[in-house]
Formats: sequence, structure tokens, C-alpha cells
Amino acid sequence: MAKAYTPGLLVTRHKKHRIMRRLPIAGDVQVKVGDTVAADDIVAETNLPGDVHPVNLANSMSLPPADVVGCMLKSEGDPIALNEPLAQTKGLFGMFKNTVNSRYEGTVETVSPVTGQVIIRGAPLPVQVRAYMSGTVVDVREHEGCEVEADVAYVQGIFGVGGETQGCIKLACTSHDQELTKDRITDDMEGSIIIGGARMTVDAIRRALEVKAAAIISGGIDDQDLKELLGYDLGVAITGRENLGITVIVTEGFGEISMAERTYEMLKEFEGREASVNGATQIRAGVMRPEIIVPLDAPPAAAAEGKFEEGQLEIGRMLRVIRDPWFGMIGQVSGLPAEPHVLGSGSKARVLEVTFPSGEKAVVPRANVELIEE
Amino acid sequence: MKRVLVALLLLACLPVVAHGQTVTLAAPSNVTAQDVPDDVGNQVALKWDLSPEDRADADGGRSVTGYVIYRRVVQTGDGLESGAETPSGSGVMAFADDFDYEANQPVGTVPYSVASFLDENVEGGVSYMYAVAATGPGDTFSTLAVTAMPVVPTMEYINQGKIWFLIIMLLISVVIIYFVFYAKRGGQIKVRPIAGLEAVTEAVGRSTEMGKPVLFVPGILDINDIQTVAGITVLSNVARTAAQYDAELKVPTARSLVMTTARETVEAAYLGEGRPDAYNEDNIYYLTDEQFGYTAGVQGVMVREKPAACFYMGAFYAESLILAETANSIGAIQVAGTAMPSQLPFFVAACDYTLIGEEFFAASAYLSNDPEQLGSLKGQDVGKVIAALLLVLGCLFATLSGIFRDSSTLQNVNGYITNNVLGEDGLVPEWMLAAELDQTQEAEQSAQPAGDGGGN
Amino acid sequence: MTNLDPDKIKVILATDCGSTTTKAILIQYVDGEYRQTHRGEAPTTVEKPFADVTMGVVNSVTEIAELAGRRLVGDDGRIISPATDTEGCDIYISTSSAGGGLQMMVAGVIAEMTAASAKRAALGAGSIVMDVIAANDGRRPHDQIQRIRDLRPDMILISGGTDGGTADKVVQISELVAPAKPQPRFGSDYSMPIIYAGNKDARESVSEVFSEGGFDLQIVDNLRPVLERENLGPARDKIHDIFLEHVMAQAPGYDKLMGWTGAPIMPTPGAVGDILQTVARLQDINVVGVDIGGATTDVFSVFDETFNRTVSANLGMSYSISNVCAEATMPNVLRWVPFDMNERELRNHVKNKMIRPTTIPQTREALMFEQAVAREALRLAYKQHKEFATTLKGVQQQRTVGDTFSQQTSGKTIVDNMALDLLVASGGVLSHAPRMHQTAMMLIDAFEPEGVTMLAKDSIFMMPHLGVLSSVHPKAAEQVFDRDCLVYLGTCVCAAGQPKPGKTCFKYELTGDRTASGEIVGGQMELLPLAEGESGTITLSPSRGIDLGEGPGKKVQRSVRGGTVGLILDGRGRPLELPEERAACQSTVQGWLDALDVYAEDKEPMAV
Repeated sequence: MAKAYTPGLLVTRHKKHRIMRRLPIAGDVQVKVGDTVAADDIVAETNLPGDVHPVNLANSMSLPPADVVGCMLKSEGDPIALNEPLAQTKGLFGMFKNTVNSRYEGTVETVSPVTGQVIIRGAPLPVQVRAYMSGTVVDVREHEGCEVEADVAYVQGIFGVGGETQGCIKLACTSHDQELTKDRITDDMEGSIIIGGARMTVDAIRRALEVKAAAIISGGIDDQDLKELLGYDLGVAITGRENLGITVIVTEGFGEISMAERTYEMLKEFEGREASVNGATQIRAGVMRPEIIVPLDAPPAAAAEGKFEEGQLEIGRMLRVIRDPWFGMIGQVSGLPAEPHVLGSGSKARVLEVTFPSGEKAVVPRANVELIEE
Repeated sequence: MKRVLVALLLLACLPVVAHGQTVTLAAPSNVTAQDVPDDVGNQVALKWDLSPEDRADADGGRSVTGYVIYRRVVQTGDGLESGAETPSGSGVMAFADDFDYEANQPVGTVPYSVASFLDENVEGGVSYMYAVAATGPGDTFSTLAVTAMPVVPTMEYINQGKIWFLIIMLLISVVIIYFVFYAKRGGQIKVRPIAGLEAVTEAVGRSTEMGKPVLFVPGILDINDIQTVAGITVLSNVARTAAQYDAELKVPTARSLVMTTARETVEAAYLGEGRPDAYNEDNIYYLTDEQFGYTAGVQGVMVREKPAACFYMGAFYAESLILAETANSIGAIQVAGTAMPSQLPFFVAACDYTLIGEEFFAASAYLSNDPEQLGSLKGQDVGKVIAALLLVLGCLFATLSGIFRDSSTLQNVNGYITNNVLGEDGLVPEWMLAAELDQTQEAEQSAQPAGDGGGN
Repeated sequence: MTNLDPDKIKVILATDCGSTTTKAILIQYVDGEYRQTHRGEAPTTVEKPFADVTMGVVNSVTEIAELAGRRLVGDDGRIISPATDTEGCDIYISTSSAGGGLQMMVAGVIAEMTAASAKRAALGAGSIVMDVIAANDGRRPHDQIQRIRDLRPDMILISGGTDGGTADKVVQISELVAPAKPQPRFGSDYSMPIIYAGNKDARESVSEVFSEGGFDLQIVDNLRPVLERENLGPARDKIHDIFLEHVMAQAPGYDKLMGWTGAPIMPTPGAVGDILQTVARLQDINVVGVDIGGATTDVFSVFDETFNRTVSANLGMSYSISNVCAEATMPNVLRWVPFDMNERELRNHVKNKMIRPTTIPQTREALMFEQAVAREALRLAYKQHKEFATTLKGVQQQRTVGDTFSQQTSGKTIVDNMALDLLVASGGVLSHAPRMHQTAMMLIDAFEPEGVTMLAKDSIFMMPHLGVLSSVHPKAAEQVFDRDCLVYLGTCVCAAGQPKPGKTCFKYELTGDRTASGEIVGGQMELLPLAEGESGTITLSPSRGIDLGEGPGKKVQRSVRGGTVGLILDGRGRPLELPEERAACQSTVQGWLDALDVYAEDKEPMAV
């Protein structure tokens, strides 16, 4: 087997990218096929059913549950305001009536004769779905959502926190292996997507927050810094719902690691352009990686075809080692031995030989490399 | 010195004459007055040698029937402020030559053959002189025997006799305070899990699952009984659990005050759990003060409503087994807690879980997890260990000293524990005091000749 | 479907459709016993572009057919059954965990009572329990509703109340579920199956609550008819039925696959549970099984025929590795590593493994660290299992005056390491360790078995297949389990109690295929050679306070079975304590590793 499938992160100058914008529950889609949408246009809207508040009337009126229905001043489906009387006991000869006022605003949903419980549903919560990426609506699913398509340049990061946002790309570092520190972030970066080089520090992120940047992207981050930023030790890589006020994406991994030169050069080229980023990461079945999407005005005239088949390991391909002892180093495949090899750990595994730019050669398990898609 | 000589001279030519009384008897001798140690300064102890005539005559009669004790305040400025400089016989300044036995009110009298008197009616810081006279039938008196030196009763700040008490108390207090601080600083204090309290959630949960109420009986005594108070603490926890588990809690009480307290407690617990709507005041009610009327009432509730969990927490008497057996027959989980030793066996046999005495009182610390309570619980435990150790040591030495009667060390240790640690002899052991006394006596004796020489 | 005469079954074909690979095995009746003869593997084809699970099955079966020289797949693309002398199989069975397995939400009244029983039923049936809703779970009703809304379970199991017990609480729970309208994972035309296994008096009211809103309510017997007894069977069977009818039917190709199988398709973990129960019953032993994966760790136990399963979500070796380190804390992980590591770098390594879960350790140090993490993951998973596998709670106690000072609460764990006979390991880090010694050491360190315990690992993760087989042909399942499924690592003899370091812990005398005798001192470990197939009798004389199975200080005689590792004697005491001080800890751990020859460099490595 001269070929082996080793997926890498996608970094491409051109891709037809299609995204599904979906409502959590059925609602109204406000665009039609063929519409051109901007990133922050609302494409669909709906109302989420409000919060549910159970009220135990049987207890508060000291009644058997079955009698509650007869005491209701409101019936199912009626709206009710805050402090409006909800139910009243019959009292003794019309006297000593006990009234219960509603502590919630909403609609009486059900009255249970079994539990004596009334369920009040709060006001509906409006939900709006934005386009997130500028492009063209290519498909609309009635009441569910729509699909937006665009020609984009696309960068997949390895890990991120924070959700969807947009902004202008601004470079903070001058090279792909320069650390992103606090002093590199300037006040004019408000609302922009800051691109760094190597590791970013927690102070830099804090500073970015201060200047109200939309996102901050760099090669790596220290786990300790991430912990400080989040306030807890991240256990499982399922992110995207953090409420940090900024989206943080690392393109390569944790620790001292520079952004891949190709990624850096590409982002540098797009400096000043609008981009959409999402830090949501889910490393499970159905893997989700953070992304940086730069919509293009027109597809590049002649998209250079990669000389290698996507995802195939071949001699001469560039790859990155993604596990110590050569973590983060980039090299070229120089050998693909077919036989499993005994590793230093004592395990037997299929390996490949990689030649680093320095000329040094190393044998690493195929599981520990990542192709750099060209 | 000159003054002393004058006083001696005066004493020598003391002609002891008075008005209506006859001074015929032989006087007692060697009267000494001493401040009583370790008191607040209101006592003086007198001692004397009996009068030579204090004995029965051949015909059974007595010439000395008792002794009278007189007291004089020695004024400052009498030149007697310093007792040490007052040679014997200087009492002349306080007791006049022509002392009138009847006109002067004695501070006390004692019958014959008694050679001591405790004057409990003095003021601290004042100098007193005492005089003792023998008295016989028909107003016969002896001459006054006056104390050699004035005595000043003083207040002691520390009662030496209770010093061991102080040491042990301080020790336990320090331990308790230490553990309270330890717990407050976040130190872990492990309280042995008390099965009965662990079972509260289980019992209440069972009630919820079975759709039956929880019955809580806070005993039959009033709120002034400590067991009832402990029971209410547990009730608070049961109510919290009931609020969480949404179980119905019924509390019949035998005292109106207990009912009020229970209502407050339960309401607070429901409120604390955010379930004020689930609280129903009518479920906590008063039955009757009558012991068996109450018992019958509670039994009625059990039989009619078949509670799935019953708690008995408080003081119980004869009704304990009646209640526990009835609840057992309806298949309830029962948790009892009482400090009534006579009722404990019944509860243990009939209930699922029983809190025994101490456990019952430790419950509040256990339940609240409050560092102060936990710390003091731990401290008290250490105190108990110390007490137990002392007990064991005491028994050991008492036994040993009983066996080896020749060993003076053992006798000393035993004596020390009995008289000093447990008794009131203070910190310094007796044998050491005795040795010290010997030394001082020796020292005094060796100093005597010089003093004599000076005196004459 | 299963009315075959077990004696006539000679060729059995079994597949397990995992989320990435479909594994097939062939079991044949050879020389009077059942043996697993061939196996094949192919990628699972549930997802697009194939979207038909049977393709993967046929591919894996074809691989076996080639190896066995036996035609198994007919021209119509179906598996040939029944068998003739040269082709086909007598019965075809399968398990499935594709598409994330069976995901459930359970609800009950009291978390420790009916809700716990409901969870046990769901876990026992092989599902993943996403959440447990109970009246006393500490959440406000609207939080519970929000949670139900957020989850997308395949089905919901509602229980609560004893028969004749609370009805309104059960209805209350139902009233939370119904308005929340949980959305199923598969399409909107799928009506959410609800299994009601609670108080029989509340059935009518519950039916009413779920009458609207697109629910498919199924009513089975109460799983806790009285608090004193659990009746999980009906609920468990219903879960399996719904799994087949609803959940599987939604997955592409399963309808076809169901037509092929001679026994109902089971969720993979449920099948693993079944085989362990079968083996425990037939051999009359107590078994603990563990399967440590990338994201979760499953622990199964059978003690005195009571089966329990727990899934520790977020305790795993790749996706969840960072969570293991966070939960166990770094110092606890590092105590198993006999050399210094830079903590900051290590934290970054852990996170890098998390975001790139497929990488494998290349250096010995990296391997040792990963195995240290595995120990902690297993330890935590087993701890959770012990807390869950308890006797029933809420049960009335019978007391005598003799119990005055020894009152025990109900709900004590039934997991007893001293009574444990067999510990079975599976999952990458355990079954693919370069040396079996490492697997054995990880198991002993993490599970802390006491007394005499057999250690084994599942050679090629065959347990799911055998689980389904056990429902059709228990004898065949047990034979294959014993002969081909398990690789015996050996027996470990572990002292319980706290032996004094350097003082005699116990004396031993081994007779049989090998003879040896000597003594183990406190804190010492020793490995005696006792190869696979060899057996013997060991006589143990523990010191005072040390328990090896018959009570402290009592002499023990047991028969022991050898394995690829041998006979391990462990005098470290239980609970296992490591020195606090880093340097002392390192040298102690190094001593143990040396004694068991765990990381020998010059030895021939095992195949991966």
C-alpha cells in the first residue's frame, strides 16, 4: 500500500462553501432562492415557546387537586398578567375567599386535576438566525431554514472557543512564528479579526477583549492560558457556547507552535477583507472544527489544482507531525515502509519516514502525522 | 526595737482584772490565726492549745465549758501595720488590760475540747487581732490568750485546690477552639456516618415513592427539655428533605409550644428549599398533653394514613414501644432518637435505625456541617478521651498502690491523683509540700538562736 | 426466529456494526466444541455516501468467506442460511452501536429509588443514559423542561411510584416531559417512544398526558412494584423492542439487516453485558468487565448474579483524556509515572491529544504517561460503578438488639473486590498495550482486586458477538468465550489490609505445573512464571491483619491459572497507597514496574 488516508485540516484559497442555516424549531424563512445575503442579514425567524412555570394550586389553596379546576378564574389558553388573580376558593358562604395571584406572566397552558398543578407558559422567546456568511441562498426548506453558498477561501482551525462572529481581518504579527503578545494589539482593532503568528498569551486575548475585537486567531495557546481565560479546566472538546465576548481560534495546537506558513500567508493576503469565523469545536463522532471563511468576490481565474490527491499519503507530500517528540514540525514524506515498525514505546505500528527542512530524518507512526493540504 | 521592748514590758505586768466576772481559769495557749488560703478573703482560721483545766473533774463536772473568741481590728497607725515586727504579746494594743468579757461581743464560741474556730465574717485586707479565753460555769473566764501577730485575710485570685480543674478545663477549651478554627479554615473533620441520619433521605424518599406521608413525633416533653430541642433540629433536616422530595410531612405534638416551634422550623426549612408553596401549616398540629391520649392519637394517624416513614426524635417514656410496634406493623421505615436509656432497647429492636444518646445530640453538628459545631463536637470528643485516659490511669494506680503498699512512689502517685487531681490539694503534691515544710522548719530552727538572742 | 435446535447449530456467523468498523467472526463446531475460526473487518457503511449498513456487513463477511474457503454470501447479496456442508451458516446474528448507539433519557420520582432502577434498566439494555430526571434532582421544573428540550433522545423511560404508591408525582413528571416535546434525533416524522414502567394506578393518567403531541406511549410492568424488589426485565425487553422497531428502523439498511438475522439485533454494550452474565452464571463466578474507549468507559459487573453496568461519559483515552486529567488531577496521574515531567508541557500534550485523538504514543515516556492516565480513568470509572451498583434503597430493615452499635444503611455497594473472580479488560489502551504486563499492571493498580483474581483481556473485542449468541446458544457462547475470546493474563494474588513495609505480608507455596515458595513483604510485588495453559494450587499464609480471602490472618488455598503474564503476587496492601513525596513515589513505582518487568525494552514486543 503506497497510499494511506491521513486527513488533515483544510486550508484552501478557493472552495464552494455551502452552509445550512437552521431554526431550532419550525418558523419563518425570510429569504428565497437566489437572494444575495450579507453575513449579518436575518434569514429566518421564529418564536421559541416560553419558559414553563408549574404552580401548585392545590397546596397554596389547601384544596384537594380535583377541586382546583372548579376554582380557576382563568381557563386553559387564557393569557395572564403578573399578579393577576389566577384562582379563588369558594370560601364559606361566600366569605373568607382565598385568592391566588399569578407570580408569572404568560398563558395558562394546562390545569391538572390529578396533581392540582397549573402550568403557565411564559412569553415566547424570539429567535433569529442570521446568514453568518455572505453569499447566495441556494435552497430554502419551508419553516426550517435555508442554505447559503459562496465562493470562499477557507481555513480550518484545530480548536476554538466562542461562537459565530464576523469582522475585518487584521494582522498583528509580522511573521508566522512570532508570538502574539499584548503589545501587538492596538486600539484600532475594534470589531476586527486579529491574526497572530505563534502562541498567543492570555494577556493578548484580554487586551483584544478590551479593544472589542471580534475574534483572535493564532497558531497555538498554552493550556494554562486557556484555563485562565475560561475560568475552568476544559475537560471535553465540545465548545462554541462560551460567553467570552470574543472568539478564539488556534490553528495548530497547544503550546509553543507557529501558525503554518501557508495559512499565515493566505490570511495576510486577505488582510482588510470581511470574514466570518466560528470557534465551535466538537471532537467526537461528527467532528466539527473552528473555521475562518473569507467570501471571495469571484472565484480565482485558474484555481491551481493540487498535484496530489486529497488525503493521500505519497512520497514528497508535506506534512506536520502532531505528536511529540517532533510535535509541530513540518517535513516531507521521504519513505513509506509497508511493514509495521516497532516504536520506542514498544508498540508495533505502521510508520513513515519524514525529512525535515534541516535534513534530519525521523520515523513516525502514520497516526501521528497530518497532511498539509495544498 | 524600743517600741517592742515597751510592749513586752506592759505584757509582763498584766494584772488581768475586770468588773463583774471572775478570772480564775487557766488560759488556753499558743493561739494562732491564719488566713484561709484560696478564698475570696473572708475567712480566718484560729487554733490554740486547750486550757490545762479543760478536762472532766472527778465528779463529772467541768470547770471549762467552752471558749470565747474575741476580735479586734488593728488600726493602721498603731504601729502594728507590719505584723512581722510585732513580737508576741503585742496584743496589748488591741485588747486592754481591763478587758470586759461581758461588754465585748465575742465573734464566736466553741464548746470545750475544741481547739479551733473559723471566723467567716471578716473583711479582706483588714488587720485583725484575736484573743481566746476559756470560759466556765458562772461567768468564769480565763485570761485572754492573744494571737502573737495580727492577721490580714487576703483574696486569692486562684484557688489552688481547683487548679487541676482549671488545667483540664483550659486544655479542653483549647482543643475545642483549635478544632473550631481548624474546621473554619477548611480542615476536614470526619464525623462518623450516623446510619440513622443517613437514612433520613431514604425514609423520606420511600414516602414519596409510596405516596404516603412522613410522620414525625417530637417526643412528649416540652420545648424546655434538651431532647425535644435536639429533636427539632432533626425535624428541620427531615423537613428540608421532605421539601426536596416533595413528601407530605405530618407532625403531631403533645405540647403547644413544641407545635409552634415545629411550625416555625418546618416553614423555614421549606422556604430554604425554595418550596414555600408545599408547606402546609395544618400538618403540624397539637393533640393533647396527656401521655396516652397523645399516644393513641398518633397511633390513630399511623393506622389510618399508613405513613411510609416514622421519626421519633425526643423524650419518650412508656409509649415508645407502642408507637414503634404500630408503625412496624404498617411497614414503615422508622428512625428513632432519644437519650432515654430505658427506652433505647425498645427502639433499637423495633425501629430500622436508632440514634443513641450522644448520637442524637451530635445530630445537629452532623446535619448542619457547620464548622463551629463540628469543631466543638470534635473538641468534646478529645475531652472525653482525656477523661477516659485519666479514669484508666487512676484505676491503674489505685489498684497498683493497693497491691504494692511498700512502694512510696506508688502511694505518692495514688495520693496525688486522689487528693490533688480529683481532690482539692492543688498542683504541688503533698509529699513535696511536706519536704518543703521540713526544709523551712529546719531553716527556721537554724535561724532560731539568733532570733532568740535578738528577742532578749 | 430462534426456534432452531441448538444441537443442530454448527456454523455461526456474527457481526458487530460499530461506529467505524464492522467486525465479523465465524464460529464453527470443530471436534466436539465450538471455536471461533475466522474473522473479518470492513468499514461501517451507515453514513453517506453508502447509507446502507449491510454493505459493510457483506464486505466483512466476504473477507471471512475468503479466509474460510466457505461461501457465505449468496448471489442475491444476502447471507446464505441455513448452512449446507460447504456454504452458508446456520444462524447469523448481529449487534450494533453505529450512529452513536441507543441514547435514552430516563425519569423517576426519587433519584435514588425508582429513577435509579430506571437508569439500571436502560444501562442494562445497552443504552447511553443522557440524563436522569427526578423529582428530587435539585433542578427547578423549568430547568428540567429546558434540559429535556435540549436532549435529543431516541426514547424515554418513565418510572416512578410503587404499585399503589404515588400517582401524582409520576403524572407530574409526565407533565414535565409532555410540554417539553423532546425532539428525536431522526426526522420529525418519528414519534418519540415513551416507555412507562411506573405505578400501575397511574397508567390511565399518564396515557392521558401523552395522548397528544406525537408520542408513542408503551406501558410495561412497574420496574419497582414494591421498593423491596426490582423488576427490570419487562422494561429492558421493551427497550430492545423499540430499539429494533424504531431506532434501528431509522438507520439506513437496518430493515434489511433485521431480515437476515436469526436473533434480534442488540445494542453492543447490552450484548457485552449478556455474555458476562452468561459466563458468570455458567461458571458460578463474579465478573467485572471494563471497556475503555476514546470518549467513555463502560464498566460491567456481575456479583451474585446481579448485573450492573455503568457508562462513565467523559472518562476516556482520547476525546476525554483532558477530562480525566482534570477530574483525577495531575498529581494523581503523575504518581504512576516514575520520572519527572514538566507539568506545563504535559498539560499541552494532553490537550493536543484531545484535539487530535487518533495519535499514538511514540516514545516509552509518552506510553507510560498515557497508561498512567488510563489507570486514573479506570479508577474513577470503577469508583462510579461502585457507587451505582448498590443494593436497593428505601427498604425496611429488620433489627435485633444486637444491631445497636452496628446499624447499616441499605444501598451499600454490592461490588466486593475480595469476591471478584475474573476481571476482563477491553478497549485500545488495555488490549493494545505493547506488553501484556502493562495491561495486567494497569488493571491491578486501577481496580485494586483483593485475594485471588484472574485477569484477562478480550482478544479482538468478540464479546458483543458472543452476547447475542448467548441468547441463542449459551453453551457455544461460553465455550468460545473461554477458549478464543479471552486472552488470560494470569492470576493476581493481592493482600488486603495495610502490611508494614519490609515486614512479612504473606507466605506462599505453589504446587502443580510449577512449584515455588517464599514470602512477600509489605510493599513488594513479585511475578512468578506460570504460563498459559499451566495451572496449580497456591497456599497462602497471611500475616496478622492481612486478608487473602478467608478473613484476616486466615490461611487460604486456591487453584490458580496461568497466563501470558504469569502469577502476580501483590503485597502492597489495600486500599493502595502511594508515598506522598514525589521522589519516594517515583522510586516506589519504579520498583513495582521492575518487579513485574512491565516496560522491558529488550523483550519482543506484542503485536498491535
